[in-house]
Amino acid sequence: MLDLFARNRVATLIVVLAVAYAAIGAAAPGYLSGATASVVISNSLVLMLISLGTMIVILTRNIDVSSGSVLGLSAAVLGLSLNAGAGLPLAIVFCLMTGAAAGAFNGLMVAYLGIPSIVATLGTLGLYRGIMLVLTGGRWIEDLPQGLKALAGNLGFGFSALTVVVLLLVALAWYVLRKTRFGRYFYAVGDNRAAAHHLGVPVRRVQFTAFVATGLCAALAGLVFAAQIGFIPNQAGNGVELKAIAVNVLGGVSLLGGTGSVAGVFSAVIFITSIDSALVFLKIPAYWNDFIAGAILLSVLLLDGRIRQIIDRRIRARRYAVHERGPVPSDEKTTANTVEAGR
Amino acid sequence: MTDQAATGRVAQLTDIWKSYGAVPVLKGVSLALQAGEVHALLGGNGAGKSSLMKIMSGVIPANSGAIEINGRPLTQASPAHAQELGLYLVPQEAHILPNQSVLENICLGLAASPRALRPRVEQLVAELAVSLDLDAQAAALEIAERQIVEILRGLVRDARVLILDEPTSALTPFETNALFQRVRKLQAQGVGIFFISHKLREIREICRTISVLRDGVIVLSGPLDSYSDAEIIDAMSRVQITEASGKDRTGRKVSQIGQPRLSVRGLSGEGFRNISLDVRAGEILGLAGVVGAGRTEFAETLFGLRPQTAGSVIFDGAEMKKRSPRICIDRGLVYLPEDRQQHGLFLEAPLFWNVSSYLVHRLPFFLRPGAERKVFETFRSSMGIKCTGPGQEARGLSGGNQQKVLLAKCLSARPKVLILDEPTRGVDVAARNDIYDLIRKLAAEGVAIILISSDFDEIEQLADLVEVMAFGQSGGELTDNISVDAIARLAFGASEARHA
Repeated sequence: MLDLFARNRVATLIVVLAVAYAAIGAAAPGYLSGATASVVISNSLVLMLISLGTMIVILTRNIDVSSGSVLGLSAAVLGLSLNAGAGLPLAIVFCLMTGAAAGAFNGLMVAYLGIPSIVATLGTLGLYRGIMLVLTGGRWIEDLPQGLKALAGNLGFGFSALTVVVLLLVALAWYVLRKTRFGRYFYAVGDNRAAAHHLGVPVRRVQFTAFVATGLCAALAGLVFAAQIGFIPNQAGNGVELKAIAVNVLGGVSLLGGTGSVAGVFSAVIFITSIDSALVFLKIPAYWNDFIAGAILLSVLLLDGRIRQIIDRRIRARRYAVHERGPVPSDEKTTANTVEAGR
Repeated sequence: MTDQAATGRVAQLTDIWKSYGAVPVLKGVSLALQAGEVHALLGGNGAGKSSLMKIMSGVIPANSGAIEINGRPLTQASPAHAQELGLYLVPQEAHILPNQSVLENICLGLAASPRALRPRVEQLVAELAVSLDLDAQAAALEIAERQIVEILRGLVRDARVLILDEPTSALTPFETNALFQRVRKLQAQGVGIFFISHKLREIREICRTISVLRDGVIVLSGPLDSYSDAEIIDAMSRVQITEASGKDRTGRKVSQIGQPRLSVRGLSGEGFRNISLDVRAGEILGLAGVVGAGRTEFAETLFGLRPQTAGSVIFDGAEMKKRSPRICIDRGLVYLPEDRQQHGLFLEAPLFWNVSSYLVHRLPFFLRPGAERKVFETFRSSMGIKCTGPGQEARGLSGGNQQKVLLAKCLSARPKVLILDEPTRGVDVAARNDIYDLIRKLAAEGVAIILISSDFDEIEQLADLVEVMAFGQSGGELTDNISVDAIARLAFGASEARHA
């Protein structure tokens, strides 16, 4: 039982989430409904995209703190081109290209120029926000066409076109990272860069690709943001990158690279967004949100850490138990113990 | 293809030059490797051996010169390219992805999926006669198993040229034999192998030809049979290694051994149980055994790094119940760990920090780097540490010099009892002799030394008495007639019966 939770952050999250839902449902009847689910999902889209992108970069043992600014810049490009009379498809292409270019610049600096990712993306965090402000002249972009807002409209069951796109993207990310050779490379590069290089993995290209993917995700998040809100403020996406990093940690993605799953990130995003919606429902003032989200994040991590420690201690005890028991241990026994230790 | 490969030349290096900045490390090296040849490559610290290997395997580019593998030129410095041509470097320190499974570790970088390659890997594992769980997470692998993963990586890639960089430095003799059998099989299949090792006896056993590198040039090359051990060692180090530095323990033994320093009674802990031993001032106690016998765990428990479950430790006449590294260092019980990269050195820190790090809790609040540097300089001259200065980073030093820095660190604590865990692993012959001399000198000064080593030659040369551990238990004791054979009998007695 404990093993399950230690190995699988998703399981921990789902159990905690289920308990929380049951408690809130009991305290505020009516919370557990299709309407709540729909709100949670559509509220989670932006964070989902940013977290997914951030996860890919973290897997390769880098970090990207510029996503919020990329979101803002891409959204501004989208809004400006729409207001300049471009068609919606063309504006979306511009938006995504902006994100890809911003990600490519980050990737260029980190993978090919050797600048530490935290430094490079801290720089572009300011730079991209600055470009956005220059482009917009510091003004909010309003009067966006109805066609854009319609993307966030309900198609049925509380799903919008954007929701479908994001869910498909999550599925795609899961498939690529789990089931393809190139996906495995992301894990390999983050796990041990030297080993990956030694075995012919194109380390730099993988790192570069991760940043481009992150940029694209952030641009898509910018599109979702603009469609949902209906206007683009100067500070669009401000601070979302840190929330995304917290989500990754909560979802079991190691900041040291090499481990983490799309399922974990997905559950963590739903978890965090559910907290927000529950607080609204429980009529707790909104200014409590950050406090409660932070406290829950820390509690889950603490719980998780304790479980891991207990498991480690058990594995150790089992591994060395052969020597306590007496005579010469057989080969089989030793192997069996190593196997369990490896899990 | 096999016919051609079985007769021809599989690797050819012509006039390789390489320099780092203004410092030339390779000055026109040419080497050839025939199919089915096991070619020993030797060289001291800084001889250019590792640069040569890195160039061959595409890790770094050469300044000039040509490399041909399987008749095709190595045109770009990339390991993937070298592997594609059929060359695989099995590095001394295995490259492991700790979060991936063993199978994924072996198959990473190959076009086929791990699942498709599984039967082939299983077959190779069986041929190598090792027990390895392919589904275990690689983080749980011991050093020896990591080495085997690397060898399997080379084999699964069908390499025609293998470079084995000290492949046996972490293997048990049983595993070494299995490896040698595998090497002979590969040899029969026409694979050419560069075999890098500091152990002449192993080289004699497995290699046919030898090349010795010194200061970036090949100083000796040809059939192994035509050179004596002394000639080879001479070629490697300009300093003549005299017979005197071989065995002289008898001269010291009688006069200088003093009162007991450390007595261990029935100590049990993780990976070992009921170990008792005594070591007196000026005595070298060899703690022998094979990899995995529990010697390192024992030493770490003595040093307070692991919990003990039973037994007592008496140091200088008083029992030490509570032990932590800090307490041990303060009392004069000092441990030199086995894995110098992971547990010993601060790789990015300057050398003088490394040396003073043991006593960092005794340094004044406002540091005096000048004094620390002076301490380092003393050790540098007395131990012959080759470096650019006390400010150099530890990463830049060769294995032998890194080990000397670690020894200096231990000595700065003025130990009464010094536990040395594999002090000469991955260290070349010349530096190894320096370290042996140093150990003898320390003993003569009255330090009690526990020498943990899997190299039984080393134990035979240095130890005044020997305690053998096998499978976490005491395997026996030798007080006189210490010989490699006697140690091996005790260390493998159970092991051979087990595998027979």
